[in-house]
Amino acid sequence: MASALTSTINKYMEIVGDQVVFTGQFARNIFRDGFEWGEFLRQCFIVGYRSIGLVAITGFIIGFVLTLQTQPTLKDFGAESYVPGMVSISIIREIGPVIIALICAGKIASSIGAELGSMKVTEQIDAMEVSSANPVQYLVVTRILACTLMVPLLTIMADALALLGGWVGVNIQDHVSATLFFRKSFAALEFSDVVPSVVKTFFFGYAIGFVGCYKGYHSSRGTESVGRAANSAVVSASLWIILIDAIAVQITNLIYY
Amino acid sequence: MDDTVAQEKTMQTAAADDVVIHIEHLKKSFGDNEVLKDISLDLHKGENIVVLGRSGQGKSVTIQCVAGLLEPDEGNLTVLGKEVKELSEEELKDLRSKLGFLFQSGALYDSMTVRENLSFPLTRVLKMKDEAEMEKRVKDALESVGLEEAIDKYPSDLSGGMRKRVGLARTLILRPEIILYDEPTTGLDPITSREISELIVQLQEKYDTSSIIITHDMACARIVADRIAVMNDGKFIATGTYDELAKSPDELINNFFK
Ligand SMILES: Nc1ncnc2c1ncn2[C@@H]1O[C@H](COP(=O)(O)OP(=O)(O)O)[C@@H](O)[C@H]1O
Ligand SMILES: [Mg+2]
Repeated sequence: MASALTSTINKYMEIVGDQVVFTGQFARNIFRDGFEWGEFLRQCFIVGYRSIGLVAITGFIIGFVLTLQTQPTLKDFGAESYVPGMVSISIIREIGPVIIALICAGKIASSIGAELGSMKVTEQIDAMEVSSANPVQYLVVTRILACTLMVPLLTIMADALALLGGWVGVNIQDHVSATLFFRKSFAALEFSDVVPSVVKTFFFGYAIGFVGCYKGYHSSRGTESVGRAANSAVVSASLWIILIDAIAVQITNLIYY
Repeated sequence: MDDTVAQEKTMQTAAADDVVIHIEHLKKSFGDNEVLKDISLDLHKGENIVVLGRSGQGKSVTIQCVAGLLEPDEGNLTVLGKEVKELSEEELKDLRSKLGFLFQSGALYDSMTVRENLSFPLTRVLKMKDEAEMEKRVKDALESVGLEEAIDKYPSDLSGGMRKRVGLARTLILRPEIILYDEPTTGLDPITSREISELIVQLQEKYDTSSIIITHDMACARIVADRIAVMNDGKFIATGTYDELAKSPDELINNFFK
């Protein structure tokens, strides 16, 4: 019993150690002997452009549903005029960044995990290494940076579409002009709502890229490990997102209130 | 061919400096799995050594140690006069540029065309920028494996034999002094196997490379081997020419030649 516990703890410590080493490798290789611009842009395209559809639909529907859910209640209190502000604050502060990050964890972290995992299993990563090319720089740095940059952009787009969804939702029952709706939405927002929530999306993006690469790069031999890498990439990336969110809210409260 | 090797050997009797890979009492375990127990082998310049052995005996592990992909637990390993474990990252990089490795699966980069696969080491290792020169090198390498027409294809569009050839071309493009082949003919039909084996010999003669070739394809061994080393249970149990080993009374060795 005790030995099972210590061996589990040891295993986790080992993983933590590996991740620290991997972070170090990532950092050291960012600008080593030039930067892999071609691969970085290709990854931005894959991570960003290919997720636009999914993220756009999700964003729009979140705003739409949120409005339909809250409007009747607010109406009972005669507070319909708060709908735009309520929608924009909850979307931009919390729901938009977290839901989009979780969606991206499902789509992007898994595909990076599977891609690098299969490259590992079919010896492509070893082949890069023996040909003196730098697989960390070419594969890992580009993917992590692409995620770090693209997830915030996707989130901003989703937030905007969520507000649009909210406006459409309001207009099912009432008639509110777009100008009025958006003016009220933005009026409700403060600097302390927008900046921290944008900043945390960079961390979400980094976590997605990092976990995907780590799981893929360290997958073991044998084809079944590819599926395992993809799956555990999603699980741990999602967990990281929730943790980062919890930490971010503490930091924001410390700074602003 | 044999004559020149013999001549070279007599000329360099004093120092054993025609040894390009020197492996001495190498050991390697993965957890409780003791894979390499005591491996010793010398590869001479211009020589093709075939390593025979059943699956899972540690043949791939041995050459992965040579390429610095795995770190041996014990023993000495010198490649081109340099002790591998003492090399800095930069020195290892430099050494690897003189070392070619053909992986069992070919290990072509799936997301790149054949052209990009071949120019990858040129831009990364030789820092080559001149497009025209790169194109020429890529075409030359493809021509030497007889696959010029595949230049714009993706690896998924190629057959097993073609992948091996492209893998070989990508290995050759840096003009390595040593090539390590991991089962170059496994999974191919006999005719393609034969072609690949003959290609290995041609390349050895054309570029004067030294090679370690892992295989259990005896037809291939017969064509390419100057010397054969038989691995069993983490050790080399015999070395000799094809004909010498074919006559061996030892059943373990003899089994390969049946
Ligand atoms: N990277 C590794 N991690 C753990 N075990 C390994 C690794 N590489 C090889 N092995 C184990 O070493 C043994 C020999 O493998 P290998 O050298 O691939 O055999 P072969 O002689 O068929 O090439 C096998 O039992 C294999 O499971
Ligand atoms: Mg093998």
